[in-house]
Amino acid sequence: MKGKKSIDWPAYLFMLPALIIYISVIVFPVFYSLYVSLHKWNGIGEMEFIGLSNYVKLITQDDIFLIAIKNNAIWIVLTVAFITAISLGFAVILNKQFKGRTFFRGFFYFPAVIAPIAVAIIWRWIYNPNIGFINEFFGAIGLDFKQNWISNPETSLYAIFIAALWQGIGQPMIIFLAGLQTVPVEVLEAATIDGAGSVRKFIHVTIPMMKETFIIVLATLIVAALKVFDVIQGLTGGGPNNSTQMLSTYMYSQTFKYANVGTGTAISVIMVLIMIFIIVPYVSFTAKED
Amino acid sequence: MKKILALMVVFLLVVSAFAGCGSNNSSADNNSEAQSNGSQDSSPNSDSTEKTELTFWELSSKQEALEQMVEEFNSTHSDIEVTVSYFEVDGIKDSLKVAASSNTLPNMWFNWGGSLGGFYAENDLIYDLSDYADSHGWYDLYNPGALNLCTLDGKLAGYPRSYNTIGMYYRTDIFEEYGLEVPTTFEEFENVCAVLKENGITPISTAGLNGWHVMRFVELLVEHYAGAEKHDALNTFATSWDDEDVVQALTKYEEFVEKGYLPEGFVTFDPNDTQLLTFSGQAAMDIQGPWYDGNIISEGQDMEDYDTFAFPSGGTNRMSAFVEMIQLNANNSEAEVDASIEFLNFYYSDENTEKYSDIYNLPLPKKGAPMPEGMPNVENLLSMSGENGTFTITDQAFVPQVADALFDVQDAIATDAMTPEEGAKTIQAAIEDYFAQQ
Repeated sequence: MKGKKSIDWPAYLFMLPALIIYISVIVFPVFYSLYVSLHKWNGIGEMEFIGLSNYVKLITQDDIFLIAIKNNAIWIVLTVAFITAISLGFAVILNKQFKGRTFFRGFFYFPAVIAPIAVAIIWRWIYNPNIGFINEFFGAIGLDFKQNWISNPETSLYAIFIAALWQGIGQPMIIFLAGLQTVPVEVLEAATIDGAGSVRKFIHVTIPMMKETFIIVLATLIVAALKVFDVIQGLTGGGPNNSTQMLSTYMYSQTFKYANVGTGTAISVIMVLIMIFIIVPYVSFTAKED
Repeated sequence: MKKILALMVVFLLVVSAFAGCGSNNSSADNNSEAQSNGSQDSSPNSDSTEKTELTFWELSSKQEALEQMVEEFNSTHSDIEVTVSYFEVDGIKDSLKVAASSNTLPNMWFNWGGSLGGFYAENDLIYDLSDYADSHGWYDLYNPGALNLCTLDGKLAGYPRSYNTIGMYYRTDIFEEYGLEVPTTFEEFENVCAVLKENGITPISTAGLNGWHVMRFVELLVEHYAGAEKHDALNTFATSWDDEDVVQALTKYEEFVEKGYLPEGFVTFDPNDTQLLTFSGQAAMDIQGPWYDGNIISEGQDMEDYDTFAFPSGGTNRMSAFVEMIQLNANNSEAEVDASIEFLNFYYSDENTEKYSDIYNLPLPKKGAPMPEGMPNVENLLSMSGENGTFTITDQAFVPQVADALFDVQDAIATDAMTPEEGAKTIQAAIEDYFAQQ
């Protein structure tokens, strides 16, 4: 006979300190931002309630906001396609037994520990059209291929992405590396006995068994792609002519440069909604499959 | 037993968390109480045994010298403790806005005049120094023009620290090498640029990241085509920027970019790096203010190789000018105001300005202030501006979102994403949008 399930009060009490912190620094600011986004406010004076005007204006009249949305979408696609693929590739290679493996793991992870703003400064010099490494390199090998890598609106976003890629592969690579080590050797051996080649084993055994790892990597990469700020701000500040403007950089300008705090927080609310729109279906879909 | 133990541990954790909050709150309360009381009767710091602690936000370009000065000041003033935080040019603008919206502004901070410092005056965030200036004879001590530019929204919004005029620095050795004379007309200036370019020298070093350095050239073109009177009207938004003279100025800017008179890829260069091209002899001119003499000295350049001229924009060849100041927090107590002024008087004392001359924009805006030794262009710029007249630098005349619209237009024209006509309309649209928001 089962007794009545008692409430585990100590468990709730243990959660209380974290809950208080979470409510005060996460939950309250989220709802306060939502409240502020419905107002016209310069951050100091009186707030004036204007309903959804900030949102309507952003979506229907603000060309820079639409450029930022488009750039964020491109950035997410590039991140998912390239950072995932390259970091997975590195993880697979570095999961094999070879001499110097530990050194190369550290070597490829190294850019991830550099502050993004420092990455921006490093790459600004690399891309400098007059004395930068890339153009000098092309010159040294006899190629007349001088480019304004980040000053050209056609190439600037992709040039910044390469800088972000250089820094961004380390973190997912480590997570993939951990994921690869959870794949049981017996299962891979069984697949080998069944006649599966390396590629088939990787596609049909390794990847499906790393589903949780992919959820973590993709979810964190998508969130990071939507929030990307430092490397953009450091390299181009959203320019030239807003061609690298992102939702985060535009939110920053509206809030802290122009003192349009209502508009800035409206952008941040839209960012959260986009994140929810992308992440929740992805995670719930993959969870259902289990 | 275990449950009871666990409960006790949790209870202690929660209580300590609240205790932590409590102690923080009480300290914050004390602090805010100190500030509010202080602003009324200066009680918190009136006790001579208590230290007046001051926070100060300053540009990082002053850090090396200021750290030594602060150390000396703190060691010789047992009742005052100054702590300085350092910021880059654009970083301090944004950080001040953040601090203003969260009521965490320091006791004193560096700022510019015009719309940048005006924001804090209009929102009652600065201590109005008018009465202090009256009672301490500032109107006899300081240059009236500088005090006038520090007066924003009817308040004396800061301790005047410098009055800057911007001119065209040029490499005399490069000009000599190619037989060039200082241009006296706009056509001569264009000819100088053409000769330099033909000889593989970039005529003007500039940098577009953040927009304001390129703006120094664009505003001179506006001055040239629109003339002084209309330029002033444009800067106060009294006349439309969707104007034929503005279009001509932007068209000429486009032409300069196309001809390679500005550095390759300049739109994303950092303004702090414009001197790299000039100092290395790859560029011949740089639009800068009197602080540039300090850079020439600190980078080991030969001062003989540098001279200045007023851009030949026509009329009296007016020059761009702006003021810099140290603003004081409106919440400062009287004791904090006194301590702040005492520190600033020390910071701008004759002894320190002489000792660390390369970090100051000399001469100080005081009546009869001596010209700095070994910095000939400082006097040149000042005397030229006195003779030619000045106009307010555009990013201080404009509110930030309109200034950013101008910067976007500069980028767009330089990258063929916009025509000059569209540029003029875009700036005007930003002005109208700003007024619609007010």
